Amino acid sequence: MRHHYWELPIFVYLFLGGLGGGIMFLSMIFTLIMAPGSMEMVQVVWLPMLVAIACLALGCFFLVFELGQPFAFLRVFLKNTSIICWGARFLTVAMLAAIVWWVAYLPYESVEWLWPFQGLADALRVAGPVCMVLAGVAGFCIMVYTGVMLSTLKAHSFWATPALPVLFTVSALSTACAGIMLFAGIHPEGATMGVQLASTFVHEQVHEYDIVLVIAELTVLFVMILSFLGSGNKVQNQVAHRWIHGSYALAFWGGMICIGLGIPEIINIFCGEVEVLTHIVAPIMVLCGGLLLRAMCIFSDDRAEIPGEIRYFTKLKKKGQAEFLTRWDYNGQNEF
Amino acid sequence: MTRLCMVIDKRRCIGCHSCTVACRTWNQLPIDIVYNPVLSTGATGKWPNVHRTWTPMLCQHCDKPACVPACPTGASQRDEDGTVWIEYKKCMACKVCVNACPYGMRDQSKFEPRLHQFIRKCTFCRDRRQYEPDKDPYCVQTCHQKARIFGDLDDPSSEVSKLVGRHKTSRIFENLNTEPQIYYIDDLGGTI
Repeated sequence: MRHHYWELPIFVYLFLGGLGGGIMFLSMIFTLIMAPGSMEMVQVVWLPMLVAIACLALGCFFLVFELGQPFAFLRVFLKNTSIICWGARFLTVAMLAAIVWWVAYLPYESVEWLWPFQGLADALRVAGPVCMVLAGVAGFCIMVYTGVMLSTLKAHSFWATPALPVLFTVSALSTACAGIMLFAGIHPEGATMGVQLASTFVHEQVHEYDIVLVIAELTVLFVMILSFLGSGNKVQNQVAHRWIHGSYALAFWGGMICIGLGIPEIINIFCGEVEVLTHIVAPIMVLCGGLLLRAMCIFSDDRAEIPGEIRYFTKLKKKGQAEFLTRWDYNGQNEF
Repeated sequence: MTRLCMVIDKRRCIGCHSCTVACRTWNQLPIDIVYNPVLSTGATGKWPNVHRTWTPMLCQHCDKPACVPACPTGASQRDEDGTVWIEYKKCMACKVCVNACPYGMRDQSKFEPRLHQFIRKCTFCRDRRQYEPDKDPYCVQTCHQKARIFGDLDDPSSEVSKLVGRHKTSRIFENLNTEPQIYYIDDLGGTI
């Protein structure tokens, strides 16, 4: 039984959440573990952090937009047993901490009109590393949460599997690498020698991470789909068939495997010297693949059928009947 | 302690959909919402030994519902007597509970105005029972075949308790460990 209750806003939210959270996590690794105390490294990840904040903010907008009563969204923080509640808390912590960190490192010295923020930035800079830790840890939790949220819904066999959070986390890290590859090193103060060196280091690192992550993502994806195909229950089997050679086959093979994973991997391995390909083309393809993965997962929300259910809900398919049923307004007037 | 449940005797159900209509009337449901679909897989068997059975569905009012812990706002609740219901003013229609329910018994009407939507489900006619505790849910009262029997499973003298004890019953998707509280007395060989 297929019923799409979640559509575009939700998979865009999951994608942007994973991307934003992943960028924050990797930024934490670079600024606090790889090069602690380096101002150049801070400048390299300054723009990616802004992109991450924008992604999370846009994702939250999509989530709230999807609600039937958007103005009641504050209630989402209330209940500990709900995974969405934890997601909202992680999103809030990540965004607030990232905004504080980003403001703390505003380049007021080189951008004249930022002078009013000088005092604020100087005051916040003390808390910069702590905010980066908070944002990085919360970002990691968001990456994991996007997959865990779906996997806790055991009504949908395709989602309720331990492989899905792993797949979403690996995919989020991969798209985060792509995001950092696209935006790292761009800073209003310009590229000093130190920033250039740090930027090159980050690009090389991210390039290598992405090669490994894409292989890991392909492995998890194929293990998941093939296990569903071979030993999954009826619903999992149906979805796997749809992905491999059914109505989703073109999106799966052409979109996700070739454009989203295969070609970027080939570019990263064999065309590492061509910057346009590795720094722009491959990351954009990885981002498209990540979005497509989430869209396909969200639309694979098949539920085990209760005998007779499909027959009941599809028996009004004759011409005119569906229109009769669907053209009622809220006051009980039929417009058919 | 009270544990409300419903026993549905499939041998008695004739697929008249009276319960569906009664439920829609009492709850004033929008046209695209059905709390009580009466499902059937069609006729089975080989002529002349053919037969047809119906499975009246409704929210299973599970002992361990998947929808209640999934709800982030606390709108989905479970009373001490086992009734699972939604407090509409707290519901923000995020549809997590709809996706959590393995029975597909929660839904949102497409005809509600944007920004004022909420999730609907069967509540064992909670509103009706609040003011007149002795009354059964409207679907039970309407069923002229007495295929739906409602009562307290923990009360040994109740009809549901006797029926569950006396007959071989089944529950839908028991393997999901949600402990549904709708017991079906199956057709053809379901009796002792």
